[in-house]
Amino acid sequence: MIFAVGLDHFLLLGALLFVCGAVCMATKRNAIGILMGVELVLNAATINFVAFARYNPVFQVEGQIFALFVIVLAAAEAAIALAIVLNFYNNHMTVDVDTAEELKG
Amino acid sequence: MMNLVELFGEHPGWYFVAATLTPLLSFVLILLASAMWCAGRAYRATPAGAAIFNLFGGEERGRIPAFVATGAIALAFVFSLIGFIRFTAQQSTFETQINQLQTKLHQLQTQKKTATEKWTHELEEEIEAEEAKLENKEKMWTSARSYAWQGNFDWLRIRPAGIRDADNGTVLQLGFKIDSLSALMFVMVTFIATLIHVFSIGYMSEELQPEVEDHQVHTAHGHLVRRGRFGRFFMFLSLFCFSMLNLVLADNLFQVFLSWELVGICSYLLIGFYTERQSASNAANKAFITNRIGDAGFILGLLILWTNLGTFNFDEIFQRVRAPLSDTHGSVDVAGRIVRGNVDPNNTTKAGQRFTPDEDGSQVLLFPHRPPEHYHAIVSRVSDNPKPDQHSAMPYWLLVAAGLGIFLGCVGKSAQFPLQVWLPDAMEGPTPVSALIHAATMVAAGVYLVGRCYPLFTYDALVVIAYTGGITLFVAATIAVVMTDIKKVLAYSTVSQLGYMMLALGVGGWVAGLFHLMTHAFFKALLFLCSGSVIYGCHHEQDMLKMGGLFPKMKITALSMLAGVLAIAGIPLFTGWYSKDAILAQALGFIYVHPQHLFLFLLPLVTAGITAFYMARMWLMTFTGKPRDEHVYEHAHESPWTMTAPLIILAVCSVCVAWGWPIYDAEASWLEHNVHHAQHHAVLADFGHVDFTESKDHGEYWVVAKKQAQNERLYAFHNHHLAGNLALGLVAISLAFAGLIYWKRVLDPAEAKEQFPSLHAFLMDKWRFDRLYSVILVRPALVVGHWLAWFDLHVIDGLIHLLSWLTVLASKWDGIFDNAIVDGLVNLVGNVMYDAGARLRNVQTGYLRSYVLFLVLAAAGIFMVLAYFVRMAMAG
Amino acid sequence: MTLTDVLFYLLAATTGICALAVVVTQNIVRAAAWLLFTLGGVSGLFFLLGADFVGATQLLVYVGGTLVLVVFGVMLTAQGPFINMRISAAEWAIALSVGLILYGVLAASLVISKQLEPSAGQSVSGEMADSTVLGQSLLGQSQAAPAGYLAGIPASVSRERKKMSYLLPFEIVSVHLLVVLIGAAYLARAKRRRSAVVPASSPQRGDGRTNGQQLGVTV
Repeated sequence: MIFAVGLDHFLLLGALLFVCGAVCMATKRNAIGILMGVELVLNAATINFVAFARYNPVFQVEGQIFALFVIVLAAAEAAIALAIVLNFYNNHMTVDVDTAEELKG
Repeated sequence: MMNLVELFGEHPGWYFVAATLTPLLSFVLILLASAMWCAGRAYRATPAGAAIFNLFGGEERGRIPAFVATGAIALAFVFSLIGFIRFTAQQSTFETQINQLQTKLHQLQTQKKTATEKWTHELEEEIEAEEAKLENKEKMWTSARSYAWQGNFDWLRIRPAGIRDADNGTVLQLGFKIDSLSALMFVMVTFIATLIHVFSIGYMSEELQPEVEDHQVHTAHGHLVRRGRFGRFFMFLSLFCFSMLNLVLADNLFQVFLSWELVGICSYLLIGFYTERQSASNAANKAFITNRIGDAGFILGLLILWTNLGTFNFDEIFQRVRAPLSDTHGSVDVAGRIVRGNVDPNNTTKAGQRFTPDEDGSQVLLFPHRPPEHYHAIVSRVSDNPKPDQHSAMPYWLLVAAGLGIFLGCVGKSAQFPLQVWLPDAMEGPTPVSALIHAATMVAAGVYLVGRCYPLFTYDALVVIAYTGGITLFVAATIAVVMTDIKKVLAYSTVSQLGYMMLALGVGGWVAGLFHLMTHAFFKALLFLCSGSVIYGCHHEQDMLKMGGLFPKMKITALSMLAGVLAIAGIPLFTGWYSKDAILAQALGFIYVHPQHLFLFLLPLVTAGITAFYMARMWLMTFTGKPRDEHVYEHAHESPWTMTAPLIILAVCSVCVAWGWPIYDAEASWLEHNVHHAQHHAVLADFGHVDFTESKDHGEYWVVAKKQAQNERLYAFHNHHLAGNLALGLVAISLAFAGLIYWKRVLDPAEAKEQFPSLHAFLMDKWRFDRLYSVILVRPALVVGHWLAWFDLHVIDGLIHLLSWLTVLASKWDGIFDNAIVDGLVNLVGNVMYDAGARLRNVQTGYLRSYVLFLVLAAAGIFMVLAYFVRMAMAG
Repeated sequence: MTLTDVLFYLLAATTGICALAVVVTQNIVRAAAWLLFTLGGVSGLFFLLGADFVGATQLLVYVGGTLVLVVFGVMLTAQGPFINMRISAAEWAIALSVGLILYGVLAASLVISKQLEPSAGQSVSGEMADSTVLGQSLLGQSQAAPAGYLAGIPASVSRERKKMSYLLPFEIVSVHLLVVLIGAAYLARAKRRRSAVVPASSPQRGDGRTNGQQLGVTV
């Protein structure tokens, strides 16, 4: 039944979050916006992990542990990304990523 | 030092080697000293250079080179004399020893025939011992059947082995062979050379000055002024003496050829001594080139001999070409002769091809290198590749060609017809040079070689030699009659006398020809030196038309020259008489046997008269009558003692060097007997008869009266006086004629000249030989040279220009190709890449967002692929 | 339609809508707010799934740490023109289509691989490992995790679940975190300004205008 919630629903939700994150990365001009997209992607992956942990008892420990790791690493990564963005802001006086087109051509 | 003395004591042949090497040493010393002087002179600004320069004499060098050279040649003369004395002494004892051994052997053999049995064994041993001793002695008895000292060493080895024996391979050797002839030649050459060296010290004294003016060379500023070349003269003289002595010393044709060329070079250097004179350098070139033409023939002869006989050594050649005197069974009929026959190549066995002796055969039998134990002189089988103990054959015409080739060399060297054109022009050199080289020695080398190589010449070659000599002597004598330059008269006289010698050798007068060589050297050198003294005394005036009446001014010169003139004319008791008589006798004997060659006697007879005439003319024109040129007469003077002393010595020699005992007997000459000792038995085989069993007559193996009807030697021997008296008569008439014309002035030579203008012009133009050669040889050569120059300049250079033009054209096209097509392709590729890159560059937008999009797309793609594969895996 | 399902749909809807809002909104501050709600919804989903610890950690670390960091960033850089940055419609179209393609692929692959069946004897239980088990396995005790059978792998491989401990990854991750933070601190330090990058003024002129050159961020 569609309404009976199973693994697929969680996976579909995770896919939705992932796609939203990807599109957010693709559409935001603000560097912080891109960072937000990254957060969304990571969250999608975490949902997947936990869902699999829940619906396959073999993985119940692994899934959660991995989800924990993902959260921690996401934090670390966010810190770095923010440092980069701040550096970018210091150098260019703007957070518009469209100005970082030195790699053009 | 003690070793040297021992060397000379045990091997006295080394006296002559030392005599040969001493002038070489002098040459080297003077050369080195001159080189050091030149080096010092070039660097005389530096102290070391100045020291060396002054050490070797500085600007005024003095006469030291002359003393070194004269000392060397005098030392060589001493060595030769000692060697000659020892040789003659040893030779006579040797002959008697051999005779004794042979008689003893004969006795033992007759004893053996009559002995009883128990004595036979001991007798046999004794016979063997005596035979061994005799063999040892006879080993020194060369194929010439005369005593000789020999020695040689291998100088150059050319492998692989040829016809020569297999263990040595082919070698070029240097060695010496001394027999009576060469010992005599040594003494004669060194003696005359010493006297000429002494003469030159005085004659060339004007070369001592640091600056010499040459009146015959005109430059823009008057006469040429140059440095004096005193030392150079003696250096060249020393080199010449060395080469001439080496020629006489040689025991093989290779060494002769070496010296041949070397004397040619020395002659060139000395004729062209006054290098700045055009006439002198032309004459030097002419001499050398004419000699070279002869040398071409010489080389041909050498090649033929080398190919067919494999050796250059005289003894080996003669032993192979001429039949030996005996074989294992005794004496042979054709002893000493060249054996002709025919070889039949179809009739071949293991022993070789069949050989049949035949008087007119096309092949010549070559005797083995080392005769085997059991030996037949005339065999019936010859092989193509003979071992050392086998016979072989060579074509007869090749032997004739070899002989004629070597003779051609002698024609060039001895200025015979048709190569006589260089000798008169060679008078451009200083007079001592003319005396030494072109009178006494170098021109005699040709005659000497013909004499040495006599066994090589076949009958046909000998006839050619005789006729060449005959023509030469007549032509030269007629030209000498009209010459006015005193040296030219003597030059033509030399040519004529050399013709005499050649003629003598050609008709079988081996002894006569070489005897004349000896005597001629003395009186011709004397005549040249006297003319040099006259020229010196008249301040380098050579034209007899400007001389006359010089007798009171130059008595010694005049008297010496008179001795020479009488000698050459053939007046009895003077040296020339003995030798000329011998030649005429032999010619007479020859025409008794071969009457078709009558001219070979008439020509020398008539020319004897002509010789006397022009010689007397020369003397009378120079020394008697009224002086024709006052200026010359006033300044004429006698030469210093350094120049007159040699004249006196030579004059004495030209009177008495050929005397024998009794003096008035033309055949008793001691000199002639000495030359006779060296005679090869081939001479007698051709013109006499050889039978060495009947050997007791005079100790010689020559006359066997009871055998053999036709024998040139025999007729010559018996008719000696007839020939001599005929000649003497003609000479007397000529001398009287000359006296009438030039002394008593009864007949006028100018009238004779007017009456025979064309004849006179023909003779004055030297029988137009120079013009003939100019037309036939010189001008065509120049024309060919012009053609070749045109060819070289236009065709060959044109070809080169064409090639270069083609190359430039090709490189131009290549450049176009390279630029347009090759570069175009490369550029095209580059442009394509550039455009493609420019277009693809647009993918790199530089926007982060688009990169993310690409990532996402790529991720989607990867997911699809992975899903597909997973499904496949799952399904499978 | 159990409570679980309803709750799920609720939470899923919240999360999805908020996520979509993050994408759609132009205002960066509002996007940060929507992100906050999204992360909250995700946390709720974790709680729904029984992963208490993970949910708590999500709220603590993610929302309280990471999102605060993001908000800091927004605040620091939210100057006037940077708050609302629009992109063109064409870009929207491309991005949406790519997103739809990706979603389609993911969904399709999920549907296609529905062939996976749970193995016999395995039932989907509502139990999840609790924090005790998590802590023990993080501390290196491999017996903490319960046994079980793996499903969905070929029969040739053993389905016995292996015992594992996660001490080492735990340590690695913590050290990693330390390193990253130090790196971040270094990266974001105050630097001397280079004049070439500065458009208008330089510190050498000393005109007093800071103009955003030095943010005064001291580390």
